[in-house]
Parts: sequence; structure tokens; C-alpha cells
Amino acid sequence: MAAGSTAWSIEQRRAFTIGLVPALAVLTAVTLGPAIYLVVISLTPLTPIHPGSGLDFSTPFANYRQALFEGSFDHSVWLQCELSTITVGLQTLLGVAVALLLNSESRFMDAVRTGFLVPMVLPPIVVAIIWKILYTPDVSPVYAMLGAFGLRPGALITSPVWALPAIALADTWEWFPFTMLMVLAALRMMPNEPIEAARIDGASAWQMFWYVRLPFIRPALTVAVLFRLIDSIKAFPLIYVLTNGGPGQVTEVTNYYAFIQTFNFAYWGYGAAIATLMVAGVFALSLLLARLGAVAPDDV
Amino acid sequence: MTCKPAAASSAGRRARRRRVKRGLAQGGAAVLLLAVLAPVLWLMLMSFRPSGATLAATLAFTPTLANYRALAGGGFPASFANSLMASTGSTVLSLLIGVPAAYALARHRFRASGRIAMWILVTRMAPPVAFTIPFFLVFSDLGLIDTIPGLIVVYLTFNLALVIWTMRGFFASIPAALEEAAWIDGAGVWTTFRRIALPLAAPGVAATGILCFIMSWNDFFFALILTRTNAMTAPVAIVNFMQYAGWEWGKIAAAGVLVLLPVLAFTFFVRSYLVSGGMAGGLKE
Repeated sequence: MAAGSTAWSIEQRRAFTIGLVPALAVLTAVTLGPAIYLVVISLTPLTPIHPGSGLDFSTPFANYRQALFEGSFDHSVWLQCELSTITVGLQTLLGVAVALLLNSESRFMDAVRTGFLVPMVLPPIVVAIIWKILYTPDVSPVYAMLGAFGLRPGALITSPVWALPAIALADTWEWFPFTMLMVLAALRMMPNEPIEAARIDGASAWQMFWYVRLPFIRPALTVAVLFRLIDSIKAFPLIYVLTNGGPGQVTEVTNYYAFIQTFNFAYWGYGAAIATLMVAGVFALSLLLARLGAVAPDDV
Repeated sequence: MTCKPAAASSAGRRARRRRVKRGLAQGGAAVLLLAVLAPVLWLMLMSFRPSGATLAATLAFTPTLANYRALAGGGFPASFANSLMASTGSTVLSLLIGVPAAYALARHRFRASGRIAMWILVTRMAPPVAFTIPFFLVFSDLGLIDTIPGLIVVYLTFNLALVIWTMRGFFASIPAALEEAAWIDGAGVWTTFRRIALPLAAPGVAATGILCFIMSWNDFFFALILTRTNAMTAPVAIVNFMQYAGWEWGKIAAAGVLVLLPVLAFTFFVRSYLVSGGMAGGLKE
């Protein structure tokens, strides 16, 4: 019996492994393989202008030295931090506020919740077009309305000061529903007793949020913030369509900098080094996320 | 005796106040939703404006299909078809490979389960530019640049991770008792999977497939870099209206509406999964 069950469990393990292996093989081919190749490229001065440059490993860390000590990469990282801080901060505030507003059980609120999903699921290129329209004085309904009051503000996306905040605003619009969803899901799982108890004790709305609800949603909120933080690093279509990294380089965040260095200037090796540094950063944030995710009550 | 009517009226007042509060919250939510969706509605309006009236910000105009007709005559339908083929192909392939793997991970504890989960998480998080550089170089050698199969392969980078992660959650939420009974009766693992687990998880498969389709359909970056003319997808085609033909706002708006419609339709089907927060990250259990 024991021997039979062992043979059976070996058989089962084999069957399960057969189901898993194709996926892992494909995943290796499309993610792990390219990742290793990326690191290899980053150790060479690869550029299509010089044949054979992809096999030149004589100065393997030249790209990294250039990235870390020449300033433009630092500049892009700084911009990235600025953009991520503004967008994630605004998305969190707005996401929590709207979630609290929508947190009641009714058909009406269910429908409204679905409506709020729209910015998040729209194709990012369509989001970019929509904001390009809003920010272009010739076609923008906002500028037309301001014009009716005699106001003629300059274009935000061509201003060195306002271009980055303009992108942040568009990105906030696109992604606050994500934080809202995560918070709503957490609020729904909240037991009723603490809320009733606080109500009987005469807690104000603010006290109710700060001392009762917030501690409960904090783990979900942390996960949402980390998700948004990591994804904010990848924002591309908005910058591509709205500012193309400009004016000058004021919106050339790290991801965009890597794109321009690689695909506009053909510095493949250098671009690969920046991308490698980005993956390392994302990996660190993911580790943090995995650790936090493990302790979140809704993740058990 | 004296306090009874007072209590009743105070309860009535409280109930009324709660009703007013609820009405205010609903009204506020509706106004806010309208404000948030206004830019999308404006895009839709713009797509029906005659070309001369596009610049005017008034709502008074005679709607026309001229912009859509102009799109139909150009290269846009071909790009739209490319988007459909690449997204459908990648979705089907990811489901075929990913669903059995997700089932295996949900029903069997592999020693490497934790590491596989981390791997998938990092794949979901990695910046696309990190994938495009090696893919561009390898595709150039293999002749896969500007082809639909090339796009399908690239979209596997995010779709496969999405399928494995979300489907593992769906399978884990189905009690294993029925399957265990089938195993005891001598049914093989994959027969049990096909006959019992898969039918039970069918709604999950549909929802996951829809998410995969949306993710591929929404892609802009990979298609921008890995396609030229033959396999150009609809999102890239829109951007070309901005660069070469001047600024054809009417056509841009019409193309934008056409690209967002399938996504809106599909989202409607999976809204309950999204609203529950379970699939919002494409990754949370």
C-alpha cells in the first residue's frame, strides 16, 4: 500500500511536471534569455555604425561608468523620482478619497465604480491622444473655455516648468482608478464591528478614517503604492506623444532616456546598460513588494 | 411616556440625515465620474465633427462620419487587422501554454514554486525597454522584425506571466475534493484537469483571456520599435497621423475611438473581476 502510494505520487509529480515544463521553457526563452543577452550587450560598446562592436569586451564597464559619472543619466533618474513622487502621491490621495466616496453597497455605486475603470483600461496611446488634445490650445476645450473668460495661458507641454507636471496630471488621471480599486477591495473586506464601535463612541468622519479605516487598508494601500511606483517608471506613450522628452530634456525620464539613447542615437550598449540598471531597481522594489505582499491580510 | 415620541422623531431625523448623506455621496460620485470621463467623451465628439468645425469648441455641429470614412480608405484597416491578429494569436498561445502550468502550480507543491512566483513578478514589473533591445537584435537576425509572429512572441513576455499568475489563483480557489476523488478512481492528472477542473475554471479562463487580449491590444512600445509597415498595429498607426500628414485631428480622434471600443466592450465583461480587486494588478491573488 505504502509502496503503491509512493509510486502513485511519483507518477503524479511526473504528470504535473509535464504540464509545467513547456511554460517554463517558453518563459525562459522570452524573458530569461533576453535578460541575459541584455546584460551581455551592456558590457560592449555595441552600435550598428561600427561592425564588430558587439563582440568588443575590452572595456566591459565603460557604459556603466558613463551612466554613473556623466550626468545625463543622473538627471534622468532625478526627473524620474520627481515624476513618480508627484504621480504616485496624487494617485494615492485621489484613489483613497474616491474609494471612500464610493464605498457603499448599491446598484448605482456599482455602476459608477465600473465607470471609473475607464481611464485605467483605455489603450495608453488613446490616453496620450486625449491629453494631447486637452493640452493643445488650438483644439482644447479647456483652452477654449479659458479663452471665453479672456484668459490665454501658454501651452503647458512646451513650457520647461510645466511640462513635467502636465504629464504627471495625465498619468494621475489614467492610474488613480487602480489605487481606488485596491482600496475598495480592502474596504469591502473590513468587518463592521470596529466601525459600529467607533460610531457609538461618537468618532468624527476624519477620526473614523484615520484611526479605524486607514489602519485596516494600509497593507493593501502599500501594495498599490508599490505597484504604481514600479509602473510609473515605465510610462512611455504619454511622454512620447505629449513632449517627446522635451522641451530640451525636462521630461526625459530614465525609461525615455534609455529609449532615445538606444533607438534614436543607436548607442545599443549604453542603452542596454541603462536598461540593466532599471531592471536591477525594479527587482529591488519587487523583492520589497513580495515581502510586504506576504504579510498583507488579503493575500493569505 | 414622554420620551417615546422624542426618541422616535430623533430616530426619524437620523434616518433622514442618513438618506441625505447617501444622496449627497451618490450625487457627488456621479458628478465626479462625469468630470473624469469628460475627456473621453470629448474625443468621441471630435471624431464626429466635420473637418472645418474640429477646432471650434462649441457643441453645435452636424455630426458626420467623414473622419471614419477617410480612415476606411487609408491603411488604417490593415493596421487594425494586424492588432487583432497579434492580440488574438498571443492570447490563444499564452492560454494553451499557461493554463496547464497554472494548474500544476496550484495543485502540486514544487520545490521551486517560490522562485517561479518571484520570476513571474519580476517579469510583470520589468521595463519593456529591457526586452526590446535584445528582441530587436535577435529579431533582426531571424527576420522577425515587422511580422505578426514576431509580435505574438514578444507579447508572450507579459501574457504568459499574467496567465500563470491569475489562473493559479482561480484553480486554487476551486476545492480539490472532486479532482482527488477522480484521482483515487484512477483517473490521470490531465484527464481530471480536462474533465473537472477546466470546466469549473472556464469563467476564469475567459476573464484571463480577455485581460491578455486587452494587454496586447493596448501595447504601443513593442509595436513602435519592432514593426515598420507590414505588421504595424493600430496604436502605432494613430501616431503616424500625427507626424506625417500634419495634424489631422478628426482622423486621429476617429482612430482613437476605434481603438478604444474593443477594450471598453471587453472590460464590461470582466468588470466584476476587476472591481473585486483580484485581477487589478494582473498579479494579485
